[in-house]
Amino acid sequence: MDWDFKLLKEWDDKISEIALKHGLDWYPINYEVCDYFSMIGHMSYHGMPTHFGHWSYGKNFERTRQMYNLGMEGLPYELIINSNPSIAYLMKENPAYLQVLIMAHCVGHSDFFKNNRMFKDTGADSVLARFRNSKKRIQSYVEDHTIGIEEVERVIDAAQALQFQTNRYGKIRPTQKELVKKYKNLIKQDKTGEYIGFDLNKIPLEPDYDILEFICKYSRNIPEWKRDIIEIVSSEAKYFIPQIQTKIMNEGWASYWHYTILNELELPSEWHIPFVKTHNQVIRPHVGGLNPYHIGFTIFQDIKKKKGIEECFIVRESLHDVAFLRQYLTRELCEELGLFSFSLKKKHGYTIDDVSDDLGWESAKKVLSNNTGTNSIPVIYIDEIEQDNTLIVRHEHDGRDLDLEHAERVVEHMTYLWGSTVKLFTIIENEVWEI
Amino acid sequence: MSTFTEHKTVADRSASDRRRHKQKIEKAIKEGLNDIVAEESIIGQDGKKKVKIPVRGIKEYRFVYGDNDTNQRAGTASDRDVRRGQKIGESPNKRKAKGNDPGNEPGEEYYEVELTLEEIAKYLFEDLELPKMLRKSLKKTEVEKLTRHGYRPKGIIPRLDKKKSAISRIKRKKAATSREDFNEEDDFSFCEDDLTYRHFKKVKKPNSNAVIFFVMDISGSMTRNKKFLARSFFFLLYQFIRSKYEKTEVVFVSHDTSAYVVNEDQFFTRGNSGGTLVSSGLEKVLEVISKQYHPNSWNIYTFQCSDGDNWPDDIDPTMRALEQLKSICNLFGYCEICPPGEGSSWSNEWRLSNVYKPMVDSKLKMVEIKRKADVWGAFKSLFSKQLRVSI
Repeated sequence: MDWDFKLLKEWDDKISEIALKHGLDWYPINYEVCDYFSMIGHMSYHGMPTHFGHWSYGKNFERTRQMYNLGMEGLPYELIINSNPSIAYLMKENPAYLQVLIMAHCVGHSDFFKNNRMFKDTGADSVLARFRNSKKRIQSYVEDHTIGIEEVERVIDAAQALQFQTNRYGKIRPTQKELVKKYKNLIKQDKTGEYIGFDLNKIPLEPDYDILEFICKYSRNIPEWKRDIIEIVSSEAKYFIPQIQTKIMNEGWASYWHYTILNELELPSEWHIPFVKTHNQVIRPHVGGLNPYHIGFTIFQDIKKKKGIEECFIVRESLHDVAFLRQYLTRELCEELGLFSFSLKKKHGYTIDDVSDDLGWESAKKVLSNNTGTNSIPVIYIDEIEQDNTLIVRHEHDGRDLDLEHAERVVEHMTYLWGSTVKLFTIIENEVWEI
Repeated sequence: MSTFTEHKTVADRSASDRRRHKQKIEKAIKEGLNDIVAEESIIGQDGKKKVKIPVRGIKEYRFVYGDNDTNQRAGTASDRDVRRGQKIGESPNKRKAKGNDPGNEPGEEYYEVELTLEEIAKYLFEDLELPKMLRKSLKKTEVEKLTRHGYRPKGIIPRLDKKKSAISRIKRKKAATSREDFNEEDDFSFCEDDLTYRHFKKVKKPNSNAVIFFVMDISGSMTRNKKFLARSFFFLLYQFIRSKYEKTEVVFVSHDTSAYVVNEDQFFTRGNSGGTLVSSGLEKVLEVISKQYHPNSWNIYTFQCSDGDNWPDDIDPTMRALEQLKSICNLFGYCEICPPGEGSSWSNEWRLSNVYKPMVDSKLKMVEIKRKADVWGAFKSLFSKQLRVSI
């Protein structure tokens, strides 16, 4: 080990000085030093210091460890959570120059968490207490002999299957009361006869995209502990969704800053080559795939070059990935990234559809946007509850067909939570399909 | 501005979630085993042989888009040349499924699990049971058996004493709370030192024994395919009975018009000629029993595999031998191998399954195997607990 806490503190002071000078504004960071085994442990729980138990996190662990052992994840492990103060983990095994790079990178993330508007409702001040509390409650259900682990797992399995089925990009879910008011007004002002016979008792009055909250509210005879678990899983998803929606920007921003800060730090000369090497590895293109560090870093550098750093700060405050790509992924950048779109053709396997030339760049960019953040999650909404309590659920088909094996199993999960029949309508190969 | 702390707690926080995950995988293995019991690679191996079994990962289901031409995805190629219509093999997005992002859909996962045949047998036979039997008076042999003998801090997981371990965890927690530097946040999951294992000691005990007779028709009508099916079936039987008795002996009897006691190798490889006299096989079993395995001290199992062909003249001697055998065996199992398209040369009336039918009861059971996939089902129907309840 070529470092101690004293050395890290010294570098932290220098990093902070430079970051402040550039106008970064981040939460205090608590760095926790741990070995690789604990690191993987924390990664399995998305970095949350306390988190309820579920077998899926055991699976996360095994997968991460397997990749670590295979050397597939050759990247420096960096892990920081959106909380105030931020908690970041430093791996004991890392050499000093790498710790310095990671610390500079973390400052970028923490600044992003603190300032990007997508995160304003994530409750960074109280998140640790909330997770700790959830863990205690779920543990108490597991230990309750009338419930037990099997039942608790069943509910978590089902709730996790649906946890990202919710309103997107900051859309607020109106309450039933507000909706009734809205439609009463519409009926009152109705001149065209559109609302004749409109049933104000229909539930929901408008498509409801927040499936878990809907189930919590309208499912009959659902025991309190189940409702509680569903709410825990649902609110956890809401905490993480902004991170899913800003992955490219967040990593791009953090990479932009570790690069800038380290160039201004007076690094010992023997650190130069390892630093450049690691940086290049982090932001390297994944040929055939997408590396958010690479795409984000490239775009932020381009914005800086063409419009100045002030614009970069505005972007980090006000956008999410989809808008970021729409506004700043130019034709030239698409070409530079070699962006292309592809799909699985029945006879030919995976085949390239469009490349970033005059004809294709816009369509390739559209495909990228469709696969960015929550756009990669199919949009499902609750349409109505029928007389016999059957729940009618529909998929907003946007040209992409659902994976049926998954859809069928998720409908089973939904049926379990709802407690009555659930019917899902979608379109498969241009035909209406019912599950 | 920042603080630095060394992570103090050594607790392995994901240990219990990993254990639950492992249990789920084991369940999946068990379910997947049915498909592999008739694989050639495992038949006829000894118990220590390791077999690699692919297990489909425990999937987490979400609404996702299907992998088809309506679902376009994007990739980058930087300075490489890409053109429309170019084939790019497997999906690069899928290949690299990262686990640490919430909402990131991992691709299909496969685990390869290495199990010994003994472990496979353990999984397979968990829900099965030997038919009701009188424990025969014990033969005067002794066998080493494990009995409980106190506790030890080290051991293997199956011997973990949960109650004792839980108590020492509580003790440790109580002790920690009274310390000054106690931290609310510390995770008091189980740590290595809490775990207490039951200890076992070897004790000599009298033993109960079993002998299994495998009787197989090796006449001309038993094709290679039929023999393979028979062999798979016998293999399962052998593993199963061995898993239930400390000591098991196996006698292989093959017959065409006359019967021989042969070794395992000969049993499965030789033959393929001549006509069939089933009675010769059964009489051979009786002869061996009377010489070596007195029914008072041995649990006797006889399993016969045949394609059902027999000379019509041999029916009566066969029935006589069968009745005698049934009275001294714990179980007589008959398995008829009748792959479609490999029909019998005799009329149905003389098929062994028809001849045996009137005698079927809890001690004489009959199953039928048409193809590889039937082997496990046939085996289970011989031994499943549910079946016994219904009898």
